[in-house]
Amino acid sequence: MRTKTFRSVLYVFLLFVMVVGAVGCTPAVPEPVEEPSAPVETAKKFEGVELTLASMTDQYVAGFRYLIPMFEEETGIKIVMDELGYVDLYQKLTADFVGKTAQYDLMTVDIVWSGEYAANGYTLPLDDFMARDAAEINTDDIMPVAWTLGEWEGKHWAYPLAGYANVLNYRKDLLEETGITPPATQEELLAAAQQLTDGDQYGIALLGAKGSAVAQDYMSFLQQHGGAVLDADGNINLNTPKNVETLDFFGELFNYAPPGSTDYWWDQRETAFRNGTVAMMEGWSIARAGYENPEMSSIVGKVDVTAAPVSAGMEPKYGFGGWGIGINASSDATKQEAAWEFIKWITSEEIQKEWIKHDGAPIRRSTLEDPELNTLYPWFPLLLKSFENGDGDYRPRIPQYSIIQDALGTYVNAFLVGQETAESALIKAQEQIDANIK
Amino acid sequence: MNQTLGKSLYKKFQNNTYLVLLLPLLLFVVLIAIYPLFFSFRISLFDYRLTDPNQTQTFVGIENYIRAFKDPIIFISLKNTLIFVAGTVSAELVMGLGLALLFAPETRIARFVRSFLLIPMALPPLVVGLVWKSLYNADFGVIPFYLKELGINVGRGPLGELNFAMPAVILIDIWQWTPLLMIIFLAGLKGLPKEPYEAAYVDGASRWQSFLYITLPLLKPTFLIAFLTRTIQSFKVFDIIYATTAGGPGNVTTVLNFHIYTVGMTFFDMGYAAALANILLFVVTIISIIYIGVMSRQQY
Repeated sequence: MRTKTFRSVLYVFLLFVMVVGAVGCTPAVPEPVEEPSAPVETAKKFEGVELTLASMTDQYVAGFRYLIPMFEEETGIKIVMDELGYVDLYQKLTADFVGKTAQYDLMTVDIVWSGEYAANGYTLPLDDFMARDAAEINTDDIMPVAWTLGEWEGKHWAYPLAGYANVLNYRKDLLEETGITPPATQEELLAAAQQLTDGDQYGIALLGAKGSAVAQDYMSFLQQHGGAVLDADGNINLNTPKNVETLDFFGELFNYAPPGSTDYWWDQRETAFRNGTVAMMEGWSIARAGYENPEMSSIVGKVDVTAAPVSAGMEPKYGFGGWGIGINASSDATKQEAAWEFIKWITSEEIQKEWIKHDGAPIRRSTLEDPELNTLYPWFPLLLKSFENGDGDYRPRIPQYSIIQDALGTYVNAFLVGQETAESALIKAQEQIDANIK
Repeated sequence: MNQTLGKSLYKKFQNNTYLVLLLPLLLFVVLIAIYPLFFSFRISLFDYRLTDPNQTQTFVGIENYIRAFKDPIIFISLKNTLIFVAGTVSAELVMGLGLALLFAPETRIARFVRSFLLIPMALPPLVVGLVWKSLYNADFGVIPFYLKELGINVGRGPLGELNFAMPAVILIDIWQWTPLLMIIFLAGLKGLPKEPYEAAYVDGASRWQSFLYITLPLLKPTFLIAFLTRTIQSFKVFDIIYATTAGGPGNVTTVLNFHIYTVGMTFFDMGYAAALANILLFVVTIISIIYIGVMSRQQY
């Protein structure tokens, strides 16, 4: 009797496991059946071509979701989008490139990957296309700094798609209450963070999680303090007095950040700002519009934004980042042509306005100066100023970038949790980099 | 056709039918297990980077293995792996046995609770990791919230503090895998003979005594199975670490498998990653040999 019940429990469990397994094995997205589209007057040159786009799940993914059906309607090209997180995107793309499997025809390319992609020829150089269609694409209108989103040693390995400026978001109400003016220098930022920390209210939100998050935030502060990852000759040199000093400063800022900050990725940092836990946050400009959306923000109308402060006495330079869009070098020629059509279309002046209105980010001067957009997004003049003085190279876009990022990601985090001193952290990071670059 | 020839052919086939029947399985094993094993051994002797555009493979002999013994992170990660294995396996064995004893009686409630306890095992570890990561979050998580209500200072949160990150991930593993041990022990308990207990009862043994002197010794084979299965699994832990701490803070939860993953999937240094994987394989093989040895001796 006992064994019987036990057995039946076991069978039910096994059945459950099998069902779960079977469900897990079914493809999540069934291939949608392609319907023949109605004939249109304009000749659709690439009718029926199907492209796959790998997109980072940044805010702008909403822009893709909105615009892709329009593009499909207009051209007959079908685009299947695969939305991936930062780490997954990088790894999946690398595997695709290395294996030459051409699983993705189009991909969003982080600014820091451009050197690596160029060195390995992963993406297609777009220069021939650009020269051919020069009349159509009006490249003069694209902000000079935006070209860093894919340009490497004179060639274009990805086309500018979404430009971000590093800005300082702050809570107007809290700063007014405490009687502080928006910080104009890094030193003022630290002082303000200290003053604004009170009980459950913290001064600033930072990225502290081991991995790309903490590495990128540290590099961003390095830029604002005049430090650098590369020395004058372009060699990786982390252990300099300036870098150590900046790391100590970075660690001091964490005293005025929520206690869990050493575990924050971008999304948790956003949450901390959006739910009102912190008073200030440096971050990419693309998030700005979201603070006025009551569905995901409890600080609507209380936020203002200013240029990211640099250290006192420094010439203002603003961190620039964002995403380009590239074409897989292994895709077949027709798909590459069709992919270029999409790039041309989505970066055109007309579509860029729609792109911005659906959570995209600007790359063109005409977009940034557009009166309608300026009424909708009053912080656009600040963006224009930041772009004009933008620095897209503070995170070195060299082919070895991911090795630098991994080493900084481990040891800056180790410093923040008290495992290393600022100096020993940078020494060990440098050692790890040297061991992995041959 | 010659009748004798036909007969002998038929006979031959009859004698060797097992070969034909085994063929699909053999093919499967060769493709899925043997080939990758040899491939990984081969590339561990080469300097082979996936990101190299020319895909050159330079023969370097055992250099990758020598490099492994000089790699400071190897020793840190080996130490972390051992802490993880010791922590998870010991706690899971004790709790699994406890739960099995608690839910062994066939009461309605025991049956009900038992089936619920199996749910964690059926969840993908990655999902489990992500759920626990949000539970642990120092500023928005449920666990630190209640700890703070109790007046306990949670600092950077369980996953952010050097001293608590490892126990915190061990707890996740315990939560997920204790039910497996409960099942193994339940099976062991159900298979125990009744007579020794009856004899002990007649001799006036207390329940505690019969547990200590009858149940435990009789459960020894089950105990070993449970111990070795979990040890091997625990050595290979990856997903929970990947989803929660990514080996942090600093290096305190970087286990061997996670380090191999970083070398392989971040640096795409396949030769070195294969060498590291083979070292892990070696460790696990030794445990497996002990396991098989013990199993064949315990012919119960």
